Amino acid sequence: MSGSNQIEKVCILGGGTAGWMTAAALSHKFKGLPLSIELIESEEIGTVGVGEATLPHIRAFNNTLNISEPTLMKETEATFKLGIEFCDWGRPGDRYIHPFGDFGPNVNGVPFYHFWLRLRARGDRSRLDEYSFPIMMAEAGRFRYPDPDFTKVTSTFRFAYQFDATRYARFLRKFSEANGVVRTEGKVVETIQHPETGFVQAVKLDRGDVVSADLFVDCSGFRGLLIEQALKTGYEDWTHWLPCDRAVAIPCETRGPLTPFTRATARSCGWQWRIPLQHRVGNGHVYCSAFMSQDEATEILLANLEGPPLAAPNHLRFTTGRRRMAWNKNVVAIGLSAGFLEPLESTSIYLIQEGITELIQLFPTKEFHPGDIEEYNRRMQLYFERVRDFLVLHYIANQREGELWRHFQNLTPPESLQEKLEAWLTRGYVIKYEFGAFLPPSWIAVLLGQNLFPRGYDRRADVPPEDLVVRKAAEVREEVRAAVASTPDQRTFIEQIGAASGSAPLVAQSAGTSPR
Amino acid sequence: MTATNRPLERIVICGGGLAGALTTAVLAHQLPPSLQIVWIETRATDADVFYGNLTAPTAYTFNLSADVSEPDLLSSTNTTFAWGTQFEAWGTACRSWVQCFHLPLPIVGGVLFHHYLTRFGIEELEPFLISAIAARRGVFAHPLQEGPPLLARAEYAYQFEPKSYVSAFVATPHMRRVERIQGDLADVELAGDAIVSLRLADGRSQSGDLFIDCTGPQARLLSRLGATLRGQRRLRALSSQRPAERLGPACRTIVAHDFGWQSTASLQRASSQLTVYAPEMESDALAAHGASPELTAEVMLGCRSDAWVGNCLGIGQALRVVEPLTHAPMLLLHRDIERLVSLVPLTTDMTVERREFNRQADEDYVHAEIFNRALFESLSFPDTPYWRAARAEPPHEKLANKLAQFARRGILVAFDLEPFNAEDWTILHFGMGRRPAGYDRVAERAPSTELRQQLAKMRQDIENLVRQMPSHHDYMTRLLDFLAHSNG
Repeated sequence: MSGSNQIEKVCILGGGTAGWMTAAALSHKFKGLPLSIELIESEEIGTVGVGEATLPHIRAFNNTLNISEPTLMKETEATFKLGIEFCDWGRPGDRYIHPFGDFGPNVNGVPFYHFWLRLRARGDRSRLDEYSFPIMMAEAGRFRYPDPDFTKVTSTFRFAYQFDATRYARFLRKFSEANGVVRTEGKVVETIQHPETGFVQAVKLDRGDVVSADLFVDCSGFRGLLIEQALKTGYEDWTHWLPCDRAVAIPCETRGPLTPFTRATARSCGWQWRIPLQHRVGNGHVYCSAFMSQDEATEILLANLEGPPLAAPNHLRFTTGRRRMAWNKNVVAIGLSAGFLEPLESTSIYLIQEGITELIQLFPTKEFHPGDIEEYNRRMQLYFERVRDFLVLHYIANQREGELWRHFQNLTPPESLQEKLEAWLTRGYVIKYEFGAFLPPSWIAVLLGQNLFPRGYDRRADVPPEDLVVRKAAEVREEVRAAVASTPDQRTFIEQIGAASGSAPLVAQSAGTSPR
Repeated sequence: MTATNRPLERIVICGGGLAGALTTAVLAHQLPPSLQIVWIETRATDADVFYGNLTAPTAYTFNLSADVSEPDLLSSTNTTFAWGTQFEAWGTACRSWVQCFHLPLPIVGGVLFHHYLTRFGIEELEPFLISAIAARRGVFAHPLQEGPPLLARAEYAYQFEPKSYVSAFVATPHMRRVERIQGDLADVELAGDAIVSLRLADGRSQSGDLFIDCTGPQARLLSRLGATLRGQRRLRALSSQRPAERLGPACRTIVAHDFGWQSTASLQRASSQLTVYAPEMESDALAAHGASPELTAEVMLGCRSDAWVGNCLGIGQALRVVEPLTHAPMLLLHRDIERLVSLVPLTTDMTVERREFNRQADEDYVHAEIFNRALFESLSFPDTPYWRAARAEPPHEKLANKLAQFARRGILVAFDLEPFNAEDWTILHFGMGRRPAGYDRVAERAPSTELRQQLAKMRQDIENLVRQMPSHHDYMTRLLDFLAHSNG
């Protein structure tokens, strides 16, 4: 391969979570190769600090960078996350956990939940949750690492973190700078494009310097400084499926237990998150401005905090959807500039990660072959659409009162989701895919958790005699129960592995709240 | 529940031969006794030769779903092991490679193995594939987790002959629950787009709730329901078995000819020869085949417009006929049956099952077909009817994408749940002489001398290991002896 054609300079625009994750990954992956990376960010522009909760995929990302888990957890005030608890989503009063793990073992190639459905049809009232080690462990507030022995019930889960995303970005900044990434303070005032091809050649900063590069990664957030403002790529609006368009966020003092899970509670016109970190709790209220005012939304949030607020409420606006092309010419959008999906399933950082992984896989040369760009966009579109369908599921599977919820009850879902629902409701069949974040157990957790019980189940589940199934089910429940009993509580475990930050819990200042 | 929607009670499988026997055996083992299973064993179609004597590496697990264990299969049939298919004289450049079965190759420094071959200008992947080298040397041993780690990277399938293979499936104890009817199909009685009953030549009539068409390429049930064949190429095949005292290699061989191709499979006590050709060059094919063929068959390659219509679905060749150049025909047959088992309808309203079965069947066909079609790209081929017809249709856009991405930088494009995996594709690309113009630049980070040494060592280790492995013949002889003693 001729050396002259290789990308020599990458410019990352924006230093939030997306920007520094990109910088960290590229600088690590291409370390020792003739490629320089410059990241432009401005202290004046705040970051959104998206997604304080993550998916298990984050661990692969950190492992690739050889980041030590205890160090990372200490620096980011992180806690472990075994899943998400959904409150009041089906009917008010309901609750369920979407775990990062499976429900019971496969029996003769048939997923366990079919046998559970069989028992249920005969009057058994055990919860499917009792067959899930991560759910029972999460409910007990405990944590341990998965057992490498696949035959054990303690191996049947994965985990993620709840952390302070701003600190995560700061952590990765140190990492990136140590790897040679140059950070430039400044705001872009002008984009210089090639007069014929429209490729971005350079950006001019407020202090006058000009930064040129072969490849630009746009991590500038919602506004998409390069991908949209310069290249006019266009946005596919998904508001008709996911109409929530505002959020208000606020941290508060920890009062409740240190739960190894995130909570999402349905509200009259949206939902509220609770993310427990070591030193504080992150909270937010996602709502639909067509049905609720900002004041009302803030009031609901403040009324539902477990402790005194630690800062003033932070208001966000967004339009759910995705950039028509995440990669256009020599600009790749990663993060909010590539699209936005509400953080109901903690997918913001996951989508950033996929954006980076695919960019590395299809890392361009200076010729910017259209085939590479097309392939990247095809893959990213799939990831976004599949997350979208999973989010829409949470809304349409509701039995709640209220205008917003009735809107969803009457919504025609995307065709891909409609078919999935019908296959589930008819016979408990989950239509699988290979590329995308959510495996069948995730779908099953939400579907059953929101009271969508199938009319039938896999016929193979009727093969073993009933008493055998009853006995096997009791065994699995007992195995899970015993495993949970011998698992330490989360705080103890965090201390044991040396991941405790040691910082005192944050306390609200007596003279009301003040921005940090 | 309306009058038209009631619990599904009786399944009728129509068709003798490979598809019918495997489907019946799996359903008999997997479905609860409350479901009635009827198997109408019409005479096996000669088109079974188009399954090509080679199973997929999924056969071991698949067969267990019919309660057929490997020891049963080897002891009671003439089945043998297969590391894959050795291609010879492919294209005018006469390429030779083993399309072997292999687990993922090592990933070095976060980069796929083959990028290092491109970086160092190493032309062939084969010396790094244990299953390919073992195939060429005629040796075999089971790849075991607890055995040599290099060998554990190999995968294997079986060489088989349909009639004998089927006997192991028909012999399972679960077949006792099946009502077996021998006879020929005379007519299909329809009501709207549903089958009411099948009438046999002797006047008997069989009704059912779900009908499974295993009648082969003619699709005698599905075709009556309006599922048309979208065919492109007509092919003929001649098949013969010859006695052989010594068992040949654990590998099927395919040799290209102007008229088409010939394959040789090594079975227990016999070898099976298959000649596949374009009808225009029949005399050449007959001459090349030699001894008078025991079986002849003609098929139209292609796919039915619908895999499942009304209350009838097809399995195997009733859905589509793909050329047995690769293990695609058996792989798709396995997948058809697995898909059916997970979607056996609960009631006579089977809208959901039909839609999902059709969706997956369509995808499987496209994804298998592009793998076969890729065998006719990137090289020049004889200007004869067989080779012209094989290349007549332009490659599907998914194949074009895969080829372009591999050609430029060795990137493997993948789609959801493809039957052929990344290793199959990499082995095919390299085997056919496709060399990426570029490689992942991260591959440059690994120190050159050290890595070259490592690659040389890997080749040498494979050589050494293969040298210690017994011949397929000896291994099989000892294994069968052992099985005979442990059973009695």
